[in-house]
Amino acid sequence: MNKYLITLISALSACANVLASPSPQDADALKIIQRSNLATVYAGDDGRAQARMLIVDKQGRKQIRQFTLLRRNIQNGGDQQFLLIFSRPSDVARTSFLVDKHPGSDDDRWLYLPGLDLLKRISAGDKRTSFVGSTFFYEDISGRDIHADTYEIVQQDKRAWTLKATPKTPNNVEFSYYHIRIDKQTLLPISADYFDSNNEVYRRLSVLKTAQIQGFPTVVEMKAENLRDGSFSINQLRNVEYGLGLPDSIFNERSLRMPPRKWLRSQ
Amino acid sequence: MKHRLMQWSFDHPKRVFWATGLLCLLALVMFPRLSVDTDPENMLPHQHPARVLHEEIKQRFGLSDMVVLGIVNERHAQGIYNARSLWKLAHISEAALAMEGVIDEDVMSLSLSDNITQGTDGEIAFHWMMRTPPVNDEAAEQIARWIKRLPLLNNTLVSDDQKAAALYIPIVAKDQSYRIYQQLLSVIEELPEGDEQFYITGLPVAEDTFGVEMFKQMAISAPAAGLLIFALMLFFFRSLALVAAPMIVAMATVIITMGAMIGLGFPVHIMSSMIPIFLMPIAVVDSVHLLSEFNDHYRPGMDKTKLAREVVEKLFQPMLFTSITSMVGFASLNTADIPPVRVFGSFVALGIGVAFLLSITLVPAYISSLSDKTLAAMARRVHSDETPNSPLARMLRLLPQFSHRFRYAIIATAIGSLLFSVVGIHNIQINDNPMNWFESEHPIRKADRTLNQHFAGTYEAYLSFSAQQPQENHSELKTILERAPEHIQSRFKTLQANSNDIAETLIDQQMNSSDDDLLWWDDIALAIDRANDEQRLFLQPEYLQYLENVQKALIATGHIGKTNGLVDLLKTVNRELHGGDTSFYQLPDSSQATAQALLTFQSSHRPGDVWHFVTPDYRSSVIWLQLSSGDNQDMSAVLEAMDRWFDNNPPPAGLDIHWSGLTYINVAWQEAMVSGMLESLLSSFVIVAVMMMVLFRSIGWGLIAMLPLSITISLIYGLIGFSGKNYDMPVAVLSALTLGMSIDFAIHFIERCRALMQHYGNWSDVRTAMFEEPGRAISRNAIVIALGFTPLLLAPLVPYQTVGLFLASIMVISCISSLLLIPSIISVLNNFLFAPATLKPHARGELTHE
Repeated sequence: MNKYLITLISALSACANVLASPSPQDADALKIIQRSNLATVYAGDDGRAQARMLIVDKQGRKQIRQFTLLRRNIQNGGDQQFLLIFSRPSDVARTSFLVDKHPGSDDDRWLYLPGLDLLKRISAGDKRTSFVGSTFFYEDISGRDIHADTYEIVQQDKRAWTLKATPKTPNNVEFSYYHIRIDKQTLLPISADYFDSNNEVYRRLSVLKTAQIQGFPTVVEMKAENLRDGSFSINQLRNVEYGLGLPDSIFNERSLRMPPRKWLRSQ
Repeated sequence: MKHRLMQWSFDHPKRVFWATGLLCLLALVMFPRLSVDTDPENMLPHQHPARVLHEEIKQRFGLSDMVVLGIVNERHAQGIYNARSLWKLAHISEAALAMEGVIDEDVMSLSLSDNITQGTDGEIAFHWMMRTPPVNDEAAEQIARWIKRLPLLNNTLVSDDQKAAALYIPIVAKDQSYRIYQQLLSVIEELPEGDEQFYITGLPVAEDTFGVEMFKQMAISAPAAGLLIFALMLFFFRSLALVAAPMIVAMATVIITMGAMIGLGFPVHIMSSMIPIFLMPIAVVDSVHLLSEFNDHYRPGMDKTKLAREVVEKLFQPMLFTSITSMVGFASLNTADIPPVRVFGSFVALGIGVAFLLSITLVPAYISSLSDKTLAAMARRVHSDETPNSPLARMLRLLPQFSHRFRYAIIATAIGSLLFSVVGIHNIQINDNPMNWFESEHPIRKADRTLNQHFAGTYEAYLSFSAQQPQENHSELKTILERAPEHIQSRFKTLQANSNDIAETLIDQQMNSSDDDLLWWDDIALAIDRANDEQRLFLQPEYLQYLENVQKALIATGHIGKTNGLVDLLKTVNRELHGGDTSFYQLPDSSQATAQALLTFQSSHRPGDVWHFVTPDYRSSVIWLQLSSGDNQDMSAVLEAMDRWFDNNPPPAGLDIHWSGLTYINVAWQEAMVSGMLESLLSSFVIVAVMMMVLFRSIGWGLIAMLPLSITISLIYGLIGFSGKNYDMPVAVLSALTLGMSIDFAIHFIERCRALMQHYGNWSDVRTAMFEEPGRAISRNAIVIALGFTPLLLAPLVPYQTVGLFLASIMVISCISSLLLIPSIISVLNNFLFAPATLKPHARGELTHE
């Protein structure tokens, strides 16, 4: 379940409208991305995890965000639902996000702020905004539009493929392209390097730890680094469980105000 | 000692030349080790509390010194908001990001700003203000409407009149700013023609550019002054060979002193870059006295060595006195707690010593090594008849009579000038602004004026508040710990003992804990988190409300164009969370609401912007001040007004208030400078007065010697007071020069008077004799120095102009007051002053000359 955190991959995700006439190479690249996306973001029919996000700024000051994450697949490789409920810092406890992810079109996103008793829709426009103040982008969490990039294999060895992803609409993103390394065995990503227009790497996502959970290879710890100023965030997932049988009914606005306690705690 | 040294110089002129040359060579070898420090911040010692705090605050809030680039479009109907102008802005921003030394993530520009607004369905939306330049003028106008709604950006990024946009480029260090300035200029250079004007300013640019231009001036103004002095001396002494001597003395003095300074590892600071300019006149003065005397007495066929020896003998005493007093004047700068001023004072003092030694060794050695033919040619050119008959000589001959007949009027005038000066000094405006060190038409000054007309201000200062040590309440934690297993308890104790921020330590513990222990650590961390709720002061409405009041009070001082703070950010987010309804432009009403509004803001493109206003523990917050003037006076006025306001509106319990920022730092070092200079001036005045009394062995003569100096200093500062010119860094430092130089003529005059009195025995003859060669030497000196430094007036840097103006004033005033006031007073008091001398001529010991 946690794997959906690995955005980039989901970005490259399945059910893509493949290019009109892809070269064999591109077709292979796309296939890898699709398989990786399924392994990373769609494991099980649903899932839950307790997330702890460590945020370290360029001065080395640390903050923590702690939240519970529920995910439900509507269609394997297609639509998904997420519910995310904060428990720390204590003054944002019970702040929650609801996302209806629609690969290929705009997601629906809601935000509930208990301190203001305010339920607010969030614009789906730009997904490369910070995820709650961390060095992760929203897109790293919810998934990048699969129409956005083209892919090619630039390198492969025994362990992994390295794909180059180039955005189709460069003006919408801050990178020129990125390189993603995918583990041949688990199909999970290993790292992604983002390059600027001077071909310099300025941002890196890397998987720090994986685990085999209920038979699914799962990313349980990953890091997002800003290489320009040295700030970084680490997202760690604990108590990952798949196949909980989460009902559709908890992924709605009411759950934002009244979190479904039953489904939040580990059994 | 003196005789032996001089004898040796006469006997071995070649060795004197060699020794001097060797010293110069040694000094020159040091020159490549030169390091430069143009940062006026270094006027304060590194460990000065104001500087330590300034650095601490910069670090705490990630604040940097900024280069400010402004684009102004006065012609377009939509002002700066047109597609072409904004394209240029975006282009420059892009170029700035690629420059070395620029802190990319903190660059502030329209093209790098995030907009918070309402989406089409009333959702909250964060989108780049101007990810790509607007395609047409309508799109540009849309940006104008957005900016108007964002108080943090309006009148900071775009001026209120919409004619100007600004780019704030934070830099890693101030000494990078001149290079970045030049790079920006070349980017602008390559832009297509248009209606826009471009301006670059900001204190870092001004300070760094000043350093660069200062070195140019060292290479232009100082040699130009040297040349002019050379030409003037040539006019008076009509002998290239003779005049070369003081030039050599001056050059050697400057080279040896600067070499010693560089060799000892002192960086060349704004202050020490002036050492050559200070030393040159001082070095020239002694040798001009010698030359003048020699020149007046030399006739073809005379024994040049004998005459040179006589001249040196006669002048040794006054030259020693003047050198020592000047040295004391400059050495007294060591009492100021300003490192560059101390270096400056010490090395000028050293240089004066060097100049004195060279004058009494090198000059006579040089003269005696000149051929008789050369000297004879000089004598023929100068003396057409027996007595000198230049206009200067003729004018001076009028003075004995004049100073006698009008003695009371002259004394009255002197007293009047003192009174006038006192009033003027009371009117002195103590003020400085490194921007004003450039002359008014300098591009940086123009940029400063233009941008501060359009914007709320380009000068930054920061007012920060920080919480004192928290009183933590850990009752919940205690309960959890009591229930926790033994190993958790002992681990917690270890963590607590080894950590000064237990909350941060627990984050690591949580991240690294085993699954089994995790719940305990989660609970402990949460308990501490909750206990800290009350400690997160700047989430609480009471504290935020106080910040809001402070911001209002700051604006009410009238010197601050704009303030930016956490309050503005929170109000904006709160408004947009409530559908953009302006009635919600207010602070959230609980700390939870505040924290959640900030969490929402952190889902933008620039989440880190929050931490420029508040620390992540919410225990410290800073308000950014934009001042449209960098004058210390204006900053001081703000400080005073706010001190009063804080007295009446004390902060909620437990808050400390701190000022920082470059504009504030300038006030801090100026205060050190003004009080330091005043102190050193007063102390050296007293020391010099005592020295005069001891050297002349007479309280009366000592006091008379102090008169021209007192009049010169007070009149100069009185005139500064009346003229409205600011008492700034250069003016403060020049007090030492004034003191050191204006005593010179008085010493020469009195020394010669007393020597002549031994000879003639009556004042009226002495008076007449005084205005022959001694008077000529003094006036020639005054003219050479006063005119010689006029090239400084053409320098584009104001401190250099000030030095030029000062030198001229010092020379003119102290020359006139020495030549008129001293004889007038002697005329009045001559019975009293000379009574013991005429009675017991041999009791004077040292001061007796054959």
